[in-house]
Amino acid sequence: MSNNPSTSENDSIPFYPTHVKTEVKVSLVVLGIFLIVGIIGFLYPLGLGDPADPMNTPAHVKPEWYFLALYQLLKYVPKTAGVVAPVLLVGVILLWPFIDRKPDTSPRLRKFRAIGVAIGVIILIALTIWGEVS
Amino acid sequence: MKLSSRWTVHLGLTVFLVLAVVAPVFITAQAKSTEKGSSPPKADTLPGNTSNIPGALVNPEVAVPPQPKQDPCLHCHITGENKGLWTPLARWTVFGTAGLLLAFGLYRSVSTYTTRAPWKPITQRTTEWIDKRYNVSEPLTKVLGKPVPRYALRWWYCLGGITALLFAIQAATGIMLAFYYKPTPEGAYASIQFIENQVRFGSGIRAIHSWASNGMIVMCIAHMLRVFIMGAYKSPRELNWVSGVVLLVATLAFGFTGYLLPWDQRAFWATTVGTEIAGSIPIIGDLALVFLRVGWSVSDLTLSRFYGLHVIVLPISVLAMMGLHFIMIRRQGIARPL
Repeated sequence: MSNNPSTSENDSIPFYPTHVKTEVKVSLVVLGIFLIVGIIGFLYPLGLGDPADPMNTPAHVKPEWYFLALYQLLKYVPKTAGVVAPVLLVGVILLWPFIDRKPDTSPRLRKFRAIGVAIGVIILIALTIWGEVS
Repeated sequence: MKLSSRWTVHLGLTVFLVLAVVAPVFITAQAKSTEKGSSPPKADTLPGNTSNIPGALVNPEVAVPPQPKQDPCLHCHITGENKGLWTPLARWTVFGTAGLLLAFGLYRSVSTYTTRAPWKPITQRTTEWIDKRYNVSEPLTKVLGKPVPRYALRWWYCLGGITALLFAIQAATGIMLAFYYKPTPEGAYASIQFIENQVRFGSGIRAIHSWASNGMIVMCIAHMLRVFIMGAYKSPRELNWVSGVVLLVATLAFGFTGYLLPWDQRAFWATTVGTEIAGSIPIIGDLALVFLRVGWSVSDLTLSRFYGLHVIVLPISVLAMMGLHFIMIRRQGIARPL
């Protein structure tokens, strides 16, 4: 077994057993949460809607919650732009490290990014809730 | 032999023998009254019966048809009408523990007796046995001894690992669901009803699979936002970010393909709308629509394709991407915050 103590500067801990123990504890918490979910699901099953009927469109068709924001957006933005914009957005996110290359020189940039993320997340959550209630 | 080994053998043997004698008596007695087709017919249930005594047994010399064999699934998986939930669990736990204790005690006492080797904990014996054959202790010590910097111990560094754990939960519950799910329009709905009503803990497994899918998407996005805010995507970690975005898209694809599988109204029409949106992308829209739907409308072929994507293509892709993601993190270390 590893008997590596922390380094002389005391700025790190050994992976095994210290960090592994922490990870095991976090895993047990997550597994515990989903065990509770399973027990609740066992007592109150999720159930199914009506069987699929290709001839009969139901009144309110909605995608799963993570697509609701996009769905709501598409109702107000013209179709082509509304579809191309998210695809381009995914492309920008994919290539972001090649767009923003400068290394962080001060904590200010981190604050800007945090504010940008907060605004984006609030908009997305608002669109999702709006998609759910309309 | 060592005192604890002898004690273990005696305990295991006693428990096992007592249970082996007592349990079949109880279980067969109970089984006779609850298993389908195993009790002799009661007189008052037979047609043309003239006896007024309820529950009186038919004259055993009268020929009765041979009893049908009990459905083997009823032993563990499927809840029968009168099978308790806990019977197989209790049987497996008690017999399993007693049997394991017995086996271990026997082995330990025999080995110590014959070789007169000094006593060592079983864990040490196992690791030495493996190490003698495969020589893993040296690379393993190197891998396990890698230092974890203290700045990486804040709670927001756990989000990626939690996402991976949720993927593992989805894989396990997904396999259990796949054992009973039928990927055809005729069979899908009924098979999920079967899982919910007849399979032991089926509704619980399905609930975990459904909720953990939402949890995985939330954790994946939270992890991505954390990395973005802390600028951990910058050089030299660009490809790590790219593999992460691919993983996010794959996770959303998992959700999209899985959503169709129950084949109820919500699933069918949400997929129709979703593929319609994909179809309105300029230039490649028609191609995307026909590829996803396998035709111009959602049909049995769509279900098969989504099932194949959900169960084979996406898991292999995600595992490969996760492998790359972890290897890169291992080599480069966790990004140091400013």
